[in-house]
Amino acid sequence: MAEVIDGEFTAFVNERGDALLRVAYALAGNQHAAEDLLQNALAKAYARWPRIRGDAEPYVKRILYHDQVSGWRRRARRAEVPVAELPERPAAGDGGHDADLRLLLRDALRALPPRQRAVLTLRYLEDLSVERTAAILGCRAGTVASQASRALAKLRELVPALDELTTRSEVKS
Amino acid sequence: MTRPVEDVLRAAVHDLADGVRPAPDLAVRALGRGRRLRRRRRATAGVAALVAVVAVALPFVLLRPQLAAHPATPDPTATATPAPPVRPMPGPDWTAKPLALPGDWVVVAGTFTAAPGRGFVLDRARGRYLTAEGYDGVFPAPVGSLSAVTDEDRPREVGLVDLADGTTRWYEVGRALSPPEWSPDGRRLLFTTHRLDHFGFIVLETDGTKRAFRVDEKRYFCTDYCDFTWSRDGTEAVLPQTGRSSHDESLRDLRAGVRLFSADDGRPTRFVPVPGDPAGPWAWSPDGKLVVVQGQHDPLLVETGTGRVVRTLPTAEVVWISDDRLLYRRPNGAGDVVLADLTGRELVRQPLPKDLVDREITVAPR
Repeated sequence: MAEVIDGEFTAFVNERGDALLRVAYALAGNQHAAEDLLQNALAKAYARWPRIRGDAEPYVKRILYHDQVSGWRRRARRAEVPVAELPERPAAGDGGHDADLRLLLRDALRALPPRQRAVLTLRYLEDLSVERTAAILGCRAGTVASQASRALAKLRELVPALDELTTRSEVKS
Repeated sequence: MTRPVEDVLRAAVHDLADGVRPAPDLAVRALGRGRRLRRRRRATAGVAALVAVVAVALPFVLLRPQLAAHPATPDPTATATPAPPVRPMPGPDWTAKPLALPGDWVVVAGTFTAAPGRGFVLDRARGRYLTAEGYDGVFPAPVGSLSAVTDEDRPREVGLVDLADGTTRWYEVGRALSPPEWSPDGRRLLFTTHRLDHFGFIVLETDGTKRAFRVDEKRYFCTDYCDFTWSRDGTEAVLPQTGRSSHDESLRDLRAGVRLFSADDGRPTRFVPVPGDPAGPWAWSPDGKLVVVQGQHDPLLVETGTGRVVRTLPTAEVVWISDDRLLYRRPNGAGDVVLADLTGRELVRQPLPKDLVDREITVAPR
């Protein structure tokens, strides 16, 4: 049985490992933490493989998010993943191209608290609804909305050009 | 949040995720960490059990008595009302005595099959259940005091625990093994070996005598679910045979029938044209005329002589307790055990204690 389990597990990781690592990277914000987060989730999946083999990917994702959130809980208010440099803060009205804005936002995302990043990952990388996001994180839909709102406020603080985009869209509409 | 902000945020999250680099040897490293995690869990379970062993002075290491937490309650009894009577749910002290089922059968185990986790095994000599922890699979014999145990750290072996005296003997069986299945008389274990180019079955006597029989996969073609099971009388091993149809991954493969092989010499003995897989020896009627199989779509009651489907049933995991009575767990709800006739009409229903609802139960004649 062990050979069969090892074979199935290895095939699963070979097939889905890259996609899962991508999610882990969005959650953790850096390569080392992402690999550690995913290794831990995969190890738990392996230990329970006979019971979850038909449902392995959702199981691993649930652990990824749970570990991220529980880590956040354990660390209480220890917040952001440290980044080497703060994102550049272009002056208001500087405008700039959307691609530049995305790059700035990408760096700013790393500075968010893990739970806020988890909410954005579920909503915008996995394209889940507020309700599904709440179910996975084990909180109410209102909490998801408030976390997303705080994340946006923090991103606006770090990337003022985001405000300009909002204004632009309001003017257009 | 406005749409353009949402769009740019979505793109930024994708950009962030795109920054990941491939991780070499992800599977190998996860395997290593997973094995360590499993060993640690097992060691923790072993330590906990050892404390209990000292307390009750039994010679077991990984099987320990389950102490009754509450006073005993009266025996659940069947009533004679015309509607399918429901027996009382066993109380919290259910482990203090054998859990009787309709038809004079009894629950001999409640475990997570082929998976680690806390389970319960009936100690027939003492008339109570023991807690089973630490093994990856626990398979009590239908009669007697033996339980087969499996451990993923010893993948080629099986342990035989004698609950009467607490001894455990380990036997080397083979490679790429299925979980063991007891013969109905509790004297032999059947394994399927899925070893490449050595597919076949292995019969292990309880004294450790072993016979391995290779089966030609090309001649006796089986795909999908291909573990051998015992025949009702325990003299033959049964292998499903794939029928002719286009393969559809979303469906079980169509069956042409089952091929039986002698458990003594491995020779093919007969072919039974039933359109599905019997779950085990108890899926065959005592007189051999009928069998319950899992068909491509539904559980089926089938005539063995002709392969004619008599009707569908709620589940293929049934036990024939007489020529016209079936015992099975309801596939829905809390999985109550029911005694039913061959039309599927429920005659008696027995709810299970909460501890057993999510576990797989093993039943045997009282």
